[in-house]
Amino acid sequence: MSGQIRAELAKIRSTRTWIVLLAVMLGYVLLNTIVLLVIDLLPQDGGGEDVPGVPTIANEQGVRNVWASAGGGYVITLILGLLVITTEYRHRTLTSTFLAQPRRLRVVAAKLAAAAAASFAFAVVTCVAVAAVAVPVLAARDAYALPAADIAAILAGGVLGSTLFGVLGVAVGTLVRNQVAAIVGGLVWLLLGEALLIAFLPSVGKWLPGGAANSLVQATSFQGEALLSPGVAAVVLLGYTAVLVGIAAATTLRRDVT
Amino acid sequence: MTGSNSAEPAVEVSGLTKRFGAVLAVDDLTFSVGPGRVTGFLGPNGAGKTTTLRCLLGLASPTAGTATIRGVPYAHLAAPMRTVGASLEPGFHPGRTARAHLRVVCLEAGLPRARADEALALVGLEDAADRRLLGFSMGMRQRLALAETLLGEPDVLVLDEPANGLDPEGIAWLRAALRHHAAQGRTVLVSSHVLSEVEQTVDDVVIIDRGRLVRACPLAQLAAEAAVVVESPEAGRLAEALRAVGVASTQTGPDTLTVPRGDPAQVGHLAFAAGIELHGLRREADDLEKVFLRLTGADQERPA
Repeated sequence: MSGQIRAELAKIRSTRTWIVLLAVMLGYVLLNTIVLLVIDLLPQDGGGEDVPGVPTIANEQGVRNVWASAGGGYVITLILGLLVITTEYRHRTLTSTFLAQPRRLRVVAAKLAAAAAASFAFAVVTCVAVAAVAVPVLAARDAYALPAADIAAILAGGVLGSTLFGVLGVAVGTLVRNQVAAIVGGLVWLLLGEALLIAFLPSVGKWLPGGAANSLVQATSFQGEALLSPGVAAVVLLGYTAVLVGIAAATTLRRDVT
Repeated sequence: MTGSNSAEPAVEVSGLTKRFGAVLAVDDLTFSVGPGRVTGFLGPNGAGKTTTLRCLLGLASPTAGTATIRGVPYAHLAAPMRTVGASLEPGFHPGRTARAHLRVVCLEAGLPRARADEALALVGLEDAADRRLLGFSMGMRQRLALAETLLGEPDVLVLDEPANGLDPEGIAWLRAALRHHAAQGRTVLVSSHVLSEVEQTVDDVVIIDRGRLVRACPLAQLAAEAAVVVESPEAGRLAEALRAVGVASTQTGPDTLTVPRGDPAQVGHLAFAAGIELHGLRREADDLEKVFLRLTGADQERPA
């Protein structure tokens, strides 16, 4: 089994895709971080003051939002997980994979583990980058002083969310198989579908994957609605993964490989 | 690792049937492949060769019947790649190098990673080891696919159309490699839709058409099966006379009948007895490809 996981990690490392993904993840996350750090300086009605309802780094929620942005890369680790399996369908390498390892569930298990490991590494790098930007700006701008333990908890939640989303991506990709459909579908779902649900139906939205990922980095939604506790959120994400892998094991994984 | 239990067939296909919806791709197919010989698995495109091999390799599940290697289904082999080296239509990630691709397979199959470089050297690709596969020609891809089959130093080779895209030098090399493999008492099953491509390589042939077994025999036996060609201005009446004694024939020209696996003496005698004038009576001196085409019905129009 360890050989199978090392094979899956080697597959990720041996093409250049991961470099692009990591760059996109850093760019996407850091853009959010920077906006949240200087949100009070951006041109808006009322000028550069602490407008009620828009948390700035002068108050606790604003600083929490800055650190929580480190967990926003789960959109990219989802794509990483999707690619781990859909690339094999797209380039017809699954034949080679299943000839070397005919036990298909073992292959998927190794992909889940490899996606988790790669997503974890991506998330840790992202947290370091966020800290490198946030720490000097927060210090220079006389921000609210959030206790180190709180920062650590937020970052740990972000890393956990990104890791679990990489795993979820493998599960979704095993079911969907088509690479473009999986990525486009995943992005539309997370960035549009879930964004709307969490805004208008937070009681439902928090139980969905994106809502659970947000729950791992903050206690309340931007609208102030209570989200899930971190433990429950992690179980929810693992639950989705388990259900999807279970369905795939009974359907797509049993199909003929062509 | 060479040919243990040499009497026992390495590959056994028994009553194999594979249905895709309304299409019967493989129809109650039974044959076996023995060690120490190169067996050609032949049939026109769409005859069901690849589907049969996919069932044999655990990539497709049969509708009925079994296909086993050393008595067990591929998926149940303890070390599949050390037992069977198989290659189907090559699929590679274009962004990976040849060496990286083979190393990944070594990890999956539990083989030492040094085998990747050894296998590349075996197929003459060592200089291209660090090139990304995007730039590989079809011939290079075929060589890499072959390298992959050799990673586990397997006893049995199963190759689907390995000569596709190979240049003449590559085909000669492939021929020598397969002969060498069989000479060590190992088993080789190689598919092709052109008999002439493997004619100089194979000892035995398994010929299928429309999913059904047409012939499984030594190549030499096939060569003795040329048809009888008979020319007569009364070809139609001769065909009737032949049919009356249960001999099938087909009209292959205005005055020409072809009697598959016919006996010239029998045909001549029937014509004489019926008073039918003959202008020619001979065994077809054509090459094996014609025999193959006739067996697979590829020389006739197919009923819809």
